[in-house]
Amino acid sequence: MASIAIERVSKSYGATHVLKEFSLDVADGEFIVLVGPSGCGKSTMLKILAGLEAASSGVVRIGERDVTDLAPGDRDIAMVFQNYALYPHLTVAQNMGFGLKMRGAPREEIARRVAAAAQSLGVEHLLDRRPRALSGGQRQRVALGRAIVREPQAFLMDEPLSNLDAKLRVHMRAEIGALHQRLRVTTIYVTHDQTEAMTMANRIVIMKDGEIQQIADPTTMFAQPANLFVAGFIGSPGMNFAPLARDAQGRAALFGAALPDVPQGERALVAGLRPEHIRPGEGAATFTVSPTLVEGLGSEQYVYFDAPDETPRAGASESRRMVARLIDAPPVRVGEPVRLSFDPARVHLFDAASGAAIAR
Amino acid sequence: MRQRPLPRLALYLSAVATCAILVFPIYWLVVTALSQPDQLRQLPPSFWPSQPNWGVFGRVLGERPIGLWLINSTLAALGAVAISMAVSILAGYALSRFRVKGGQSLGLFILTAKMLPATLLVIPLFGIFRATGLIGSLWSIILAHATLIVPFTTWMLKGYFDTIPQELEQAAMVDGCSPLGALFRVILPVSTPGLAATALYGFVLSWSDYAYARTFLTNAQGNWTANLGITTMKGEYVSNWADISAASILVALPVLAIYLFLERYLVGGLTAGSDK
Repeated sequence: MASIAIERVSKSYGATHVLKEFSLDVADGEFIVLVGPSGCGKSTMLKILAGLEAASSGVVRIGERDVTDLAPGDRDIAMVFQNYALYPHLTVAQNMGFGLKMRGAPREEIARRVAAAAQSLGVEHLLDRRPRALSGGQRQRVALGRAIVREPQAFLMDEPLSNLDAKLRVHMRAEIGALHQRLRVTTIYVTHDQTEAMTMANRIVIMKDGEIQQIADPTTMFAQPANLFVAGFIGSPGMNFAPLARDAQGRAALFGAALPDVPQGERALVAGLRPEHIRPGEGAATFTVSPTLVEGLGSEQYVYFDAPDETPRAGASESRRMVARLIDAPPVRVGEPVRLSFDPARVHLFDAASGAAIAR
Repeated sequence: MRQRPLPRLALYLSAVATCAILVFPIYWLVVTALSQPDQLRQLPPSFWPSQPNWGVFGRVLGERPIGLWLINSTLAALGAVAISMAVSILAGYALSRFRVKGGQSLGLFILTAKMLPATLLVIPLFGIFRATGLIGSLWSIILAHATLIVPFTTWMLKGYFDTIPQELEQAAMVDGCSPLGALFRVILPVSTPGLAATALYGFVLSWSDYAYARTFLTNAQGNWTANLGITTMKGEYVSNWADISAASILVALPVLAIYLFLERYLVGGLTAGSDK
């Protein structure tokens, strides 16, 4: 187990910059999740960490060693791939023991460690099978087993749950979490799924266009997003945004309700309100809407509506669409006016030009 | 969904007609081998000889050094395939995996080389082999066949390697393999069907060659390949077509046997990449 230091790592393909000055310090035993939309550079960063891609500039250290120019096999890391990448011509036991065999471990030790890893993952009855005879979940366990059997300094995981169905994904998510709790191996996990990031990470690194947007623990990331992108990416459904209206005296208001602690001045601001912070019925700031779509999930309802008329329009009708996540609320029907409310103190503010969050 | 009977009938009829067109020459070769010389040109033709001459195969084997020719053909084909596979495994893998400057143009250049007729190379190769003293040696056609086979096998293997996820060798490299180690320990074992199909394709290309053997080996009787040997059975004034046909069947048998033996791999190898 080791800490990882990534110092100003950049990666370019010709004129295309896929990673820009990426720096991150990962503590020993920490679980870091790199999250972002497709093409944000998160998988490239992981491959540079693994040594499968060369950085255009910057330094990578694992423990105290500078591994920037080392081959993947010399970095003492293990990687779990999205498509598992199990060797189809080898049995499960041979797959799991492959890395140890490459390092010249004695046969008895390989057998002992493979058996121990297989038992901890519940795949000991599959050791003689080949990967094609396994289900998706079993393959994923074997891929994890191949990683842990080597007892590496760090685990790198590249969207390991993407190929699983929704139910199995939730199950394996918990298993990987439990595995990390038990082994305490430094882990860098890449995903585009913000739910995985929120549920698994000690700290989340959110990326866009090759740049880090924010590094924070999940609670901070949710409560204090650094900018509009982070605010919209984290949370499901994402945060609602509306241009902030000011009255003649320059006081800011959202849906007719005055917002406290809004900076004075002329600069354009965007208000952000999380769907779960909108409640049914009367409250500190109340407004009436006519739902355009209601998605019932049993315990909660996603109520979609157009922003009330007093909100200045941003042009396209899509930008006025908002969603409220109502938990344990009376049934809401499309087209029937409903009273909703929110606490003005929970409204986030962002600079409309830069997108940066504004402290209140 | 139930298929309508008429299109299905048309499908079967066209399949039968295609098979008949493909199989007829082989059938006629067998008929010619088993017929007496005077029956060969009779009109209307006989579609099966009244007294099949099964002894023709034994006689041809006894009178002509077909065994030697077959050994020479096999050695030439194995040698050419060995060289071609060694070159095209590395070349195909490099074209499939590495972003090399001009790599795409290089691939297209190899593809163009496939389209050149083999006879185009006969004269330059003859010059090279004469200068190196290889005329008359089996090495001449081993090397000549390799030049013919390498473009095909490189392109075939590149296509096969393209279907193998890159994560496999990445996993192997993380597990401690060098890039070449990942190729030999993971990619090649996984590619067995593609390798078998490609090697067999090269084997058949070499086995069916006549032009190179005729040019480089004519004066070295002990090194004649089967195809070259069979053509010498045709006389200037009289040709025993039954013997020539029988020898042709004997020469075709080894390739047929290999096809049947490797069929399982071939189907997998040739259709790889058509589905994911």
